[in-house]
Amino acid sequence: MSALRIRGLEVRYGSHRVLGGVDLELGEGEFLGLVGPSGCGKSTLLRCVAGLVQPEAGRVEVFGNPVRGPSPEVGILFQDDALLPWRTARENVALPLRFRGASPREAREQADRWLRRVGLEGFGDHYPSELSGGMRKRVALAQVLAVRPRLLLMDEPFASVDAIVRHVLEVDFCRLVADAGTAVLLVTHDLEEAISLCDRVAVMSAGPGARIVAAYRVPFGRPRDPVAVRAESGFGPLVRAVWDTLRMEVARMGWELSA
Amino acid sequence: MSRAVGLALFLGGWELASRARWLDPFLFPPPSGVGWVVYELVRSGQVWPHFRVTVTEALAGLVLGTGTGALFGLVCAGFRPLAQVVEPAMALLNAIPRVILAPVFVIWLGIGMASKVALSFLLVMVVMFFATYTGIREVDGRLVERVRTLGGGRREVVREVYVPSVTAWVASGLKVAVGFAFTGAVVGEFVASSQGLGYLLSFAQSTYNASLTLALIALVVGVILLLFWAFGSLERWWLRWKPEYRSRQAHPRALPRTVRPAEQVP
Repeated sequence: MSALRIRGLEVRYGSHRVLGGVDLELGEGEFLGLVGPSGCGKSTLLRCVAGLVQPEAGRVEVFGNPVRGPSPEVGILFQDDALLPWRTARENVALPLRFRGASPREAREQADRWLRRVGLEGFGDHYPSELSGGMRKRVALAQVLAVRPRLLLMDEPFASVDAIVRHVLEVDFCRLVADAGTAVLLVTHDLEEAISLCDRVAVMSAGPGARIVAAYRVPFGRPRDPVAVRAESGFGPLVRAVWDTLRMEVARMGWELSA
Repeated sequence: MSRAVGLALFLGGWELASRARWLDPFLFPPPSGVGWVVYELVRSGQVWPHFRVTVTEALAGLVLGTGTGALFGLVCAGFRPLAQVVEPAMALLNAIPRVILAPVFVIWLGIGMASKVALSFLLVMVVMFFATYTGIREVDGRLVERVRTLGGGRREVVREVYVPSVTAWVASGLKVAVGFAFTGAVVGEFVASSQGLGYLLSFAQSTYNASLTLALIALVVGVILLLFWAFGSLERWWLRWKPEYRSRQAHPRALPRTVRPAEQVP
């Protein structure tokens, strides 16, 4: 069964047609990177899958079930680590567990376990404002993984932290998610990140009426080191191939490119 | 520290100037003299009935004003058509010096406590209306979305996002409101009354008793500062998650490494 199946998805904001017939499929445990020019509708697509946006037409199925709203099987990690500022790291991680009926004690113990797993042991009592950007990302990751989603949607999850922290986060993230066997849909505008983390990379066309124009299989197995893989011989040509497709889409938006 | 030194210098200079008669002690009685009057007022017990009246009026205005303002803010934030009527009215009330309504309240409600409570209520209500109204409207939509995607329903969104974010605004509004509550009570008494600190103040002024006037002012200021401190502590505790109140900052280097990159390489 597919983790995610999208057929002919169309979305409108008023008279603006954002998505014009998106087809996409994601296998169980597969990592799919979605790249595209800014503003093309990548995030909108993600929000449709999350059940936060109602599509105009088309089908979105998660593990065979049509999406009707936020689902416990789907976890989402946004660009901004939207942690509750008035809750400690532990309470933030425990929150989704509590929503799913865990007892306070159980939720607390699980939250501590997850904080340890993301490398934040001993920071449970800190408020988000007391943590660095990278640490907040880790809390958000623990929060979303704590309820063991089968499909994880990520919208630029590693933007807004510096390059080194970002690489460290990527490495840790790969391990944690691969362990859990979760399928991942990663939206990013960094195509090297998409290639280094994913099994497949899909390119979205420029809006309005965006579609998927191409998909590339990444010739490296997982688990892999997402930083080291950038030095592999097949990496460069793939970046080039994806970039050539992406460049045409960016050019269609009327931006000047010094090619 | 430098504030304490500044205050001591100011009071010391005043004391000296007054005693050396560079300033007319009848108009500018030395701080020690004023302190003595405060002490006498408290010791003889003369001030207590008046003190009680003023504090009762202020607290009644504070409680009623906070409750009503918060309720109005809540209803307006949830019901747009009402907000379109109420918000401009509140904005107008906010723009004018509301104490000018004191004489009207005396005419309507008499010279008793009711007119002072009404003035205090009005001052507080507008502040708390805006605190609640803005608090609800400024709720971070991303947090609402976050709680929803984590599996929270309507009730969880209210409890986890709306309540804490509105209380943050209300807590800061409350500090302003305390000062306003006393302003309303004292000014109301000043206009027309037969008891209260404002009444004593008006009496002291009409008899040109500068010592008594300053002593009463010191007393009112003292009470307000005490309440400020109390509400400030409450706010600091309540909003301890805010960066401006944070006591510690976790350094990234303090991050224990339990996830080792080496485990990644296949």
